[in-house]
Amino acid sequence: MTFRRQVMIILRRDLRIEGRSGEAIFVTVPFGLVALFLIPLALPLDIELLARIGPGMFWSVTLLFGMFITFRQSAAESSSQQEQLRMLGVDPAARFVGRAIASALLLLIFELILAPTMVVLYAPAAIPGWPAIIPLALLAAVGLAMIGTLAADITASLRSRSALAPLLVAPLSVPLLVPAAQGLESLRTKNGIMVPTMFMVAVVLALAVAGVVTAQPLEETT
Amino acid sequence: MKLRYALLGLATIGMVFGLSLAARMPSDAVQGNSARIIGIHVPAAWLGFLAFGLTALFGIGWLVTKRPKMDYLAASSAEIGVLFTGLALVTGMIWGKATWGIAWDWGDARLASTAMMFFVYLGYLALRRAATDPVQRARRSAVLGIVGALQIPLVYFSVNIWRTLHQTQSIRPDGASMPTETLLAMLINLAAFTILFAGLLIWRADQLRIEEARLAETVLAPNAGSAVIPPKLQPGS
Repeated sequence: MTFRRQVMIILRRDLRIEGRSGEAIFVTVPFGLVALFLIPLALPLDIELLARIGPGMFWSVTLLFGMFITFRQSAAESSSQQEQLRMLGVDPAARFVGRAIASALLLLIFELILAPTMVVLYAPAAIPGWPAIIPLALLAAVGLAMIGTLAADITASLRSRSALAPLLVAPLSVPLLVPAAQGLESLRTKNGIMVPTMFMVAVVLALAVAGVVTAQPLEETT
Repeated sequence: MKLRYALLGLATIGMVFGLSLAARMPSDAVQGNSARIIGIHVPAAWLGFLAFGLTALFGIGWLVTKRPKMDYLAASSAEIGVLFTGLALVTGMIWGKATWGIAWDWGDARLASTAMMFFVYLGYLALRRAATDPVQRARRSAVLGIVGALQIPLVYFSVNIWRTLHQTQSIRPDGASMPTETLLAMLINLAAFTILFAGLLIWRADQLRIEEARLAETVLAPNAGSAVIPPKLQPGS
């Protein structure tokens, strides 16, 4: 079986399980929306302040709550499932890629729901050329999905996994968060977003290489 | 054993000499006495990079050879790296307060990225504590060490990528951006700190080996209550 076919099978499996459980869409997405509602309640009533911090809040909530999409219980494989995949000769790298793509797609849905909610709640000033943010959102989703998939594998079956995995993901995702937030600022100041976009592409490529290279040893941990 | 003490002795001599040079150099025209802290701050930051880079290399070494010594060296390197990165952050904040007027500038890419690297390796140490099986622990931490090392070039070049408050590299191919006395004190401290790192690395790796052996003995030892054997149930009882 080709690598691509293996990736597609893993991807379809993960999305089908998510479709049945609804853990990311029906639990994590509303959780992120609640966070967007809560933040203004904890701040002084200042419409201008909210408009200024809105885009930053969008990226922070995407990072902090989006990571739970990558750790979702429905994506965790039991040891018997893993043994079966191993016996079938599924490439560990294909497993990593398939699972990361599934998480990235779910994260994109998360961002698609979160972004208009942020615009409605925080009413940020219109940014000229805002569609240029779409590639940044896509890269942030792919990068975060890969970091989350890696962290989920590193902490698989550990008792303190629920606390440890976010501790690993949050600092590792800063190279995605900073250029994503800067891209928005660059658009506002009409400086173009080529530099942050290329930076994010480099980070995503480095993560992809790290994920594929370490997939084999990580499979042996489970 | 002798090498470790020789390295630590040499490092102590070097540090006494380097730090006394930093203390006696003329005060900076702009920064005043706060410039002396560079004698500790730069070597500590350099050791953070070195330690985390070695953590990744020893992690790769473990994945290839499966020799426990590689894992002990990776863990020791990460521990020392966290210590020195913490020291670099604290000394940087003291210098920042004296020179910039603020201890922490949120707009500064070097500060933020160094702090994040520090947290990644705190996570590394937490992961090591969470995993009990030595082989699984070594494997997981080797992978995290490799992934974490991706941040090192980002932190190092952050001052070039983003124009922020933190100055660019002090020593560049076209020369150093500081007076000779300051440069000399910094380089001596850099060498002394590096020797200190080597001594601490050997020492801590040896400690980890002993700890692991003791732990293995504890696991093999009988637990309280293990002498109590439940009665066998007879058929029909």
